[in-house]
Amino acid sequence: MNDIIRDLQVDNLQVDKDLPTGAPVNLSRRGLLVGSMGAAAGALVLGFGLPVRGARAQDAAKAVAPGTRVPAFLEIRPDNTARFLSPFVEGGQGVFTAMVQIVGEELDMDPKSFIVENAPTGSDYLVVFGKMRITGGSMSVRTSYDTMRKLGASARAMLLEAAATRLGVAADKLATEPGYVVHAASGQRIAYGDLAGDAMSLPVPAADSVTLRDPKQFRWIGKPVERLDVLDKSIGKAVYAIDLKVDGMLHAAVQHAPRLGMSVGAVRNEASVRAMKGVISVHHLPGAVAVVSERWWHAKRAVEALQVDWAEAGAKPVMDGIRVMPANFSTADFAERLANEPGDGKDAEKEGDAAAAFASAKTVVTATYHSQYLHHAQLEPPSTIARFNADGTLDVWMPNQAPEQFQADIAKRTGLDASKVNVHSPMLGGFFGRHFLYQAANPYPQAIQLAKETGRPVKVIWTREEEFLRDPMRPMAAVRFKGGLDANGMPVALEAISICEGPTEGIAGHNKDKLDETAVEGLTGKSYAIPNRRIAQIYVENPTMLAYWRSVGNSMNDFLYESFLDELADKGGKDPYELRMQLLKDNPRLSTLLKTVGEMSGGWKRGPFTAEDGTRRARGIAMASPFGSHTAAIAEVSIKAGEVVVHDVWEAIDPGSIVNPAIIEAQINSASALGVSQVLIEEAVYKNGMPVARNYDLYPILPPSRMPRVHARIIESGEKMGGIGEPGLPAVPPAVANAVSTLTGERVRRMPLSQYTFNS
Amino acid sequence: MKKLLLVLLLIIVVVGGGLLWFVNHKPGSPFETAGTLPLPSTEVLARGEAVARQADCVACHSLPDGKPYAGGLEMGTPLGAIFATNITPDKENGIGNYSLADFDRAVRHGVTPDGERLYPAMPYPSYVKMSDEDIRDLYAYFMHQVQPAAVANRASGIEWPMNMRWPLALWNAVFVPSGTYAQKPQQDAQWNRGAYLVQAAGHCGACHTPRSVTMNEKALDEGGSAFLSGALLDGWYAPSLRQDVNTGLGRWSEEDIFQFLKNGRNQHAVVFGSMAEAYNNSTQFMSDDDLKAIGHYLKSLPGDASRDGTPWVYAAAAPAQGQAGTRGTPGSATYAAKCGFCHGTDGRGRSPWIPPLAGSPASLIEHADSQINVTLNGSARVVTAGVPDAYRMPSFRQQLSDREIADVLTYVRSTWGNHGDHVTQQEVNALRQHTDPASSTPIILQMR
Amino acid sequence: MKLEINGQPYEVESDGDTPLLWVIRDELGMTGTKYGCGLAQCGACSVMVDGEIVRSCVTPLDSVANRSITTIEAIQNDAIGRKVVAAWVQHQVPQCGYCQSGQVMAATALLKQNDKPTEDDIAAAMVNLCRCGTYNAIKAAVQDLSGQKV
Ligand code: FES
Ligand code: FES
Repeated sequence: MNDIIRDLQVDNLQVDKDLPTGAPVNLSRRGLLVGSMGAAAGALVLGFGLPVRGARAQDAAKAVAPGTRVPAFLEIRPDNTARFLSPFVEGGQGVFTAMVQIVGEELDMDPKSFIVENAPTGSDYLVVFGKMRITGGSMSVRTSYDTMRKLGASARAMLLEAAATRLGVAADKLATEPGYVVHAASGQRIAYGDLAGDAMSLPVPAADSVTLRDPKQFRWIGKPVERLDVLDKSIGKAVYAIDLKVDGMLHAAVQHAPRLGMSVGAVRNEASVRAMKGVISVHHLPGAVAVVSERWWHAKRAVEALQVDWAEAGAKPVMDGIRVMPANFSTADFAERLANEPGDGKDAEKEGDAAAAFASAKTVVTATYHSQYLHHAQLEPPSTIARFNADGTLDVWMPNQAPEQFQADIAKRTGLDASKVNVHSPMLGGFFGRHFLYQAANPYPQAIQLAKETGRPVKVIWTREEEFLRDPMRPMAAVRFKGGLDANGMPVALEAISICEGPTEGIAGHNKDKLDETAVEGLTGKSYAIPNRRIAQIYVENPTMLAYWRSVGNSMNDFLYESFLDELADKGGKDPYELRMQLLKDNPRLSTLLKTVGEMSGGWKRGPFTAEDGTRRARGIAMASPFGSHTAAIAEVSIKAGEVVVHDVWEAIDPGSIVNPAIIEAQINSASALGVSQVLIEEAVYKNGMPVARNYDLYPILPPSRMPRVHARIIESGEKMGGIGEPGLPAVPPAVANAVSTLTGERVRRMPLSQYTFNS
Repeated sequence: MKKLLLVLLLIIVVVGGGLLWFVNHKPGSPFETAGTLPLPSTEVLARGEAVARQADCVACHSLPDGKPYAGGLEMGTPLGAIFATNITPDKENGIGNYSLADFDRAVRHGVTPDGERLYPAMPYPSYVKMSDEDIRDLYAYFMHQVQPAAVANRASGIEWPMNMRWPLALWNAVFVPSGTYAQKPQQDAQWNRGAYLVQAAGHCGACHTPRSVTMNEKALDEGGSAFLSGALLDGWYAPSLRQDVNTGLGRWSEEDIFQFLKNGRNQHAVVFGSMAEAYNNSTQFMSDDDLKAIGHYLKSLPGDASRDGTPWVYAAAAPAQGQAGTRGTPGSATYAAKCGFCHGTDGRGRSPWIPPLAGSPASLIEHADSQINVTLNGSARVVTAGVPDAYRMPSFRQQLSDREIADVLTYVRSTWGNHGDHVTQQEVNALRQHTDPASSTPIILQMR
Repeated sequence: MKLEINGQPYEVESDGDTPLLWVIRDELGMTGTKYGCGLAQCGACSVMVDGEIVRSCVTPLDSVANRSITTIEAIQNDAIGRKVVAAWVQHQVPQCGYCQSGQVMAATALLKQNDKPTEDDIAAAMVNLCRCGTYNAIKAAVQDLSGQKV
């Protein structure tokens, strides 16, 4: 690690001064101080400076399973602190803290004594299902939980072994307490930091030879341990990609073609722009122009001044893997087209005989629902630093959720061997699915080209405007629903045909023989006992670039389904909460959840009712089962001056078992905010092939004034561990929409609600 | 402009066919006998280009993505849309077959070679005052410097009988002055140059002079007190360019006017709305002498205290909410959250980069249209010498309701000594329906 | 141009129309102040000028000459700033953290002007965007500080 970050300059005053030149430098202040201390003391510590190449040497040997080689993850320092290299990137979801809760629990070391950094690329870190590495899909903790426990336990075993040798006693006569090995008989205590050097030389014990702690004795797992990064983030010391600087670095700003697929034709005023203050050079890139300068602001002003005649896309794509945006594309027209696309679609889920059930149903209800395109709108604009090194390697610093994928892509683009490409993954200023490998959606190809053309390291920062022009979006969909009710008003059949393109097929390509689950999740996977069901998809390719967005398909499909379910309840004369209870009566896990959220809200009451402050209010209920967890949410709303006010969201979540309840509560808050934002105000609109909004002015995100109170409760059913980062979202939009429908008597069938005008 | 066609209908009914000759005749041109013209010198071409800048032909006759002068801009009227035409020297679609006299009749009299009358969206009531020399140079420029573009004209969306153009001849006879600008010997050369630019090619009155019910500008020169006294047009209020202290240029020096036209900004204001377009495409390209002449001339137009009201004096605002023991209005809270970071809690802006709202004509004019429009939609980027502005006005249509915009503008218009009228939700809503957000991308109309 | 930042004098060379944000981040290398939108929409770039909150992305350099600028780097040198940071830690406010420099600055500026902000005062002053939705934690933290003696 140290060789990769050697030349990183941290522009942080007090710290800078303490830096021995050429010493390993860390990006965070604490890391930096500790790191240099370790180096100065010359201590042999577990995994210190573990070179990426070392990991690759292991690749060659193919000897080690990901997530087992202790030194690749852990460094215990003479001062009895530890550094942990996380296979998952931190972007606010608290995964760094969760990782050291788990590792610390088994290692017997207080999470507070860790610093955590993102691990470099390398096969050791492919811990998701033992074969890949992404931070996303709410998979980090649940897929690595067992691995990380074993890792911590292995490290502890190594320390015990080292202590046994030193004390000349059998290892089973030793015990640990946080940070120490203790020999009860003699009263001796040895700090882990003292043992690390000896432990380092020992082989990692076989995975099945270590014993794990009894969960009943957990001290940190399952507890609201404070997050490790909170102080740094509160005092401006957390360092994001956009903050990094390397020696000799230049800055670049870009202007993208107004529509993806167009290329640079003539540039009318290149000479005069070259003459502008601070401009070093002007570059033509695929589908963009760039200006390089010593200062980003100069580059930005100059690149905006470039008058480019953009050439329409020809037969040969200007970049691989992109879609050419048509000049007449409009989201309004596209929504119409989706709603009216003929056909019955391809089955995604089938149960019973829906057709027959509709034929014999007492009442048949049909409705078409819509979801909208969404931006990620993470607060940190994209940036990348690229640096070619004298030894033929390439360093790239960029926000990313999947380092090895970017490494492979960069290797392909540059013709370098992957082993020569170092991808660094700093803290993310929000991710929400933004930082995967989407074509034309990230600045790293530009940074690499500019570094090559200028012969110096280059940092590219996209303005917010350029970001919204190239941000790939959460897909939009139209869903044709059909519901059949029996004489008692109970649903006996449900059909949902989603006309859309799923994000996965949008990114990786459509396979006509396969169904993209991410297109329909949330329509599928519902637990309601409706005997006859058919969920299907009609694939319609989008002209836009698509992406994952927090909670992926569920982010829209649960809105679509749960709103229609309320519509069925109304048609059948049932209370929507009671109806859900009945439909889940044989499902104790979800019944408990539904009951819990009802209790949390003080007992289910739908309304409309008059609140204490005199406003008319109503409540809506919805459920979702995304990413291995289950949720139920109730929202309370009123209308003020024609706009929806969400007062409270109560949400119960059952993720099976948990690591940190405080983080989960924060995630429920965060996911609720995004859900409320989506349902109230968010929509990416295209006209004439271009996004209307290029900044937060025309693409507003939830402001503090519209944030509801959020009440979260966690139910640990003990079932298989589910996800946390995303599951809080999907139930919220339909809960809000259902409350609004109840309050206004007007059925809401599309997001966002800002397109409706409600009477107060 | 919008009521124009309705008025024309009346005229059709009232006036009989006896005037057939009159309405079909072509006005005379001093260039009728010009014969074959010599190849223009580069000097003539440069002057012609400068005239094209003064007249801002490109603003209507080009689209951002189109070929220069190939036509384009859509102008809505109650009867349907009309489209600016192709004025490239393309023989098929443009003016390639126009003789100098034909060109002259079109520019100064609004009559095409086949005798058809142009809608006065083409500002020939102003252009009629242009000098013969300017017309000749402009013609040379269009014929030799503009690339022919084979782009067909778009038919207007106006249907029969309202699409008959001949009644316009009658309108012209009544409302369009005859003859080129006549020097005023009692004034100095700079004044006369300024007057000429303002009245003729610059056609400032097309936006800044109020119109009568018959849609003609109420005055076409300083002889009428309505001249450049401010007018509402297409969702913007073009303020008075007279010496009105509140709503005009009374507090501006000649130098201020010069700076504004040259740089798009000065200590008092930054161009926005339609003026941003006029600045981007026209005024900044004029010579310093011409811009100073304009300032000099405008400073000679007296204000009207009875129309303008009590002179504005800055008054500090009551402390905003968030400070101890104070309570704001809904408007002041919105101002603090959405406007104050740029325009300052003191309303004084960050001149010359971000304009003050305290004492600005837009805050003092009874019509709030410009402020409503710029709040809803933001403003076009101001591009000076090819470089887009460092700061731009965002659009608030997606963030603020009609009520909130009305409240915040009412706050702006009644604080810091401002005394413009309060703004209603209905006014905001009306403009919301008929306007679109400004592009955050700089729009540069190319002339070649 | 001369600037005073965090009590230190600086001589900077940027043009007068350069946003203070880029002078701080690029020319002076203090990256705690964040760029989010450049359009006064998000508040990530908030700093204090003479104790008042400003959004540095829309603050031209020439408008702050000779005025006293405080950035997040010096937040703990300020008695109120220290309390705000402590409350932020206690309430575990940040998630991704990107907006939080600006949030902490906004809270500090509010409490400097008004040591007992009401709920409405807090709502009026704490208007910065947070995509991670930390709004409730922010509100709770500021409420905790309301009325506390420094
Ligand atoms: S970066 Fe300044 S307000 Fe967003
Ligand atoms: S904590 Fe991520 S944007 Fe606020």
